[in-house]
Amino acid sequence: MDRYPREPSRRDVLRGALATGASLTLAGGLSACGSRSDVVRTAGGDQWRQFKGATLNFISENTAPTAAIAANIRPFVDLTGISVNIVTLELTALVQRVALDLASGRAQYQVVYADPYQVLAPYQRGLVDLRSLQADPALPDLPGGITDFIPTQLDAAGRFIDPGAVYALPYDAPTMIWQYRRDLFDRYRSRMANDLGFDPTPGGDRTWEEYFEIARWFNKNATSDVKYGTGHQARQHDSLMNDFSNVLWSYGGDYFDDGKEVGRMGSRDPGPCRLDSAAAIAGAEFYNRLLGIADPASRTWDWDGVGAAFRAGQLAMCPNWHEYAASNEEVLPGKVDYAPLPKGPAGTANMYGGTGVAISANTLPHERGAAWLFLVWATSPQTQLANLRSKAGGGTPTRTSVYELPEVRAAEKRPSPMPNMLTAAAVRQAWQSDRIGLRPKIPMWNECNTAIFTQLSRMLTGSGSPEEAMRSIKSRVDRIVARGWVA
Amino acid sequence: MAQAADSSPVLRRSTRPEAAAPKEPRIGFEGKMMVPGLILLAALSIVPFLALIAMSFSRVRLLGGVRLEPVGLGNWVRFFTDPDMWMSWLRTLIYFVLTVGLEMALGLGIALCLYRVLRARNILLSLVLLPMFAAPVIVGLLGRYLTDSTFGLYSWMLRSLGFSGDILGSPVGAFTAVVLMDVWEWTPLIALITLAGLSGVPQSVREAAAVDGAPGWMTLRYIVFPAISNVLLVALLIRSMDAIRYFDIIWVTTNGGPADATKIVPIRLYETAFRFFDFGYAAAIGLAMLAFSIFIARTFVRLLDTRGLTR
Repeated sequence: MDRYPREPSRRDVLRGALATGASLTLAGGLSACGSRSDVVRTAGGDQWRQFKGATLNFISENTAPTAAIAANIRPFVDLTGISVNIVTLELTALVQRVALDLASGRAQYQVVYADPYQVLAPYQRGLVDLRSLQADPALPDLPGGITDFIPTQLDAAGRFIDPGAVYALPYDAPTMIWQYRRDLFDRYRSRMANDLGFDPTPGGDRTWEEYFEIARWFNKNATSDVKYGTGHQARQHDSLMNDFSNVLWSYGGDYFDDGKEVGRMGSRDPGPCRLDSAAAIAGAEFYNRLLGIADPASRTWDWDGVGAAFRAGQLAMCPNWHEYAASNEEVLPGKVDYAPLPKGPAGTANMYGGTGVAISANTLPHERGAAWLFLVWATSPQTQLANLRSKAGGGTPTRTSVYELPEVRAAEKRPSPMPNMLTAAAVRQAWQSDRIGLRPKIPMWNECNTAIFTQLSRMLTGSGSPEEAMRSIKSRVDRIVARGWVA
Repeated sequence: MAQAADSSPVLRRSTRPEAAAPKEPRIGFEGKMMVPGLILLAALSIVPFLALIAMSFSRVRLLGGVRLEPVGLGNWVRFFTDPDMWMSWLRTLIYFVLTVGLEMALGLGIALCLYRVLRARNILLSLVLLPMFAAPVIVGLLGRYLTDSTFGLYSWMLRSLGFSGDILGSPVGAFTAVVLMDVWEWTPLIALITLAGLSGVPQSVREAAAVDGAPGWMTLRYIVFPAISNVLLVALLIRSMDAIRYFDIIWVTTNGGPADATKIVPIRLYETAFRFFDFGYAAAIGLAMLAFSIFIARTFVRLLDTRGLTR
């Protein structure tokens, strides 16, 4: 035994520090890997307060409805005692986060903005079938029931292949319609009618050829009012596929056989691409011609770009998402009006870009219950009505009952306290099952979509003819589909 | 025979008892001190690298935890037979040559001008260096606004010169724009490095050349350039490594369009990995990019080595 306690050497100190560091790291790592604790559920009492104290994370695209929900989350917190963190991202970033979150096996985001094409179709197995929660007697039911949702939207945004299962509740419903400067059409109507030989008033009876003629007329005769007759979201981006698809479908072309069903219910094996059909090529030829007289900046715009240019008074008309109405009314009050998109030889198609809200399958049982409360509340008629009135944005309802409310009906006419409702007449027509435009809901859509808008972009920049573009898309899409999808 | 072997001095030496000699530890103190660092390096770099190699021969499943399904050479065959990928490599090469070439030429020119300025050189240098301090994403956003057809300053200037198109709307215009944005941001770095090199050129040699009546271009050709060539090589190496990984500005301004005109390999890698979630194929692209980067780096390092700069 030493007579005096030994002074620790430098080596001992370093060894001790290393050991401490290692044990701390190990402890931290183990605690991180340990089992997660579910939220506490209080049995009995108020159904809405059984998960009081829980915290939910909701990841959403930075859309108008979520902006309204975020601005008006207080009623939900007061009703349930559940806190909600809302993360809003650009769609591509959202899809990345959701995919990686699903891969992690943990649900950092319990509530997910489930884009039908980029989240629902590829990761449907990572989402909860909401029927299990709807059937739970301890949880509140959907007010008005699931049949209160607009049927086409429930299928397109909420289901995948299985007609029974529901993976998401329709949450927003942006749809492409014809947006035009009513003031300019009023001013020039008779001159245009004389010059063009038809009544130019926008509506479902106008054809795409007439749309072209009207745009060209503005290019030549109204340059003191607007720079160009039409503008489009034709950047090499998802928006280009949306803009083009309206024309494609109205000319009778489609991406796959039985395209309506592939768009509405989805498919894992949609068969060969049909963009090499004569109708599809005719649609592409017209679209190429139309973009030839559109504002040249169209090739650099997505929906934000064309929306901003329209509001800036640069364009007389454009196809764009109906939820831009509120922004239009703010900048050009009373000067803008809305109609369904023109028809082609095969009819009218209005691209639907709606999305549902879903629950990650990685959530724990009580977390699922809390998330269900949020879904029920966020898609309830009362919340959708509040969103319509919201100053923070707000989309349009996805429930038929809301459209029947007297105050909502009244808001369809100016002066409207709910400016998005000014589009109601147009979107009501656009949402009819024979007019709604549904892109293919297939798991590998993201890659197919990229091939589509890339080749369209090549066509629009003169790097290939419409026929070459369509044939090229067909061969690429067939290759992508043949590779299949694993998730 | 055995006796003869025993009598061999070599063997005799080897059979000598060694107990007296102090035993060297297999891993010294320094080695032990390096272990945590090596473990960290393995965790951060070596393990992901090995995982990347494994992924490049697999199909990656995400749901329910990441799992690899072996697909053999499938991803690599696709990589070598994908015409779009080859076009992306070609664009990357053109982009690489243009940006690095322009930056070297302009950086050198600016440095030579600044070197001749005697008064307020620091103020001028600070102004020249400003673009370098902006994040590439900010440069992209700035470029997008400046080239916007509605309110962009450059668009307005070009319109007044008779250009009616949209800068980012045409393949050539978009490619040129993203190249110039990168050149705008990083030329100052080359100027700064070159200026440092110029400061090292002996004044006496320059004065001697002037006394001998050497014209300016001869002084540059035979005195200045040989003296700063090593510094230029280092600058070239730094910028080359960055140019291969160029991503932010293109992503913000053009997304790789129009008509794929600006879709260089890093953009394709990003979309394969994080838009299509085809991690196996993305791993193959990433490894090819790594090989290309190593090739470029080795080429420059070899050049530096021949000049004795790595010793």
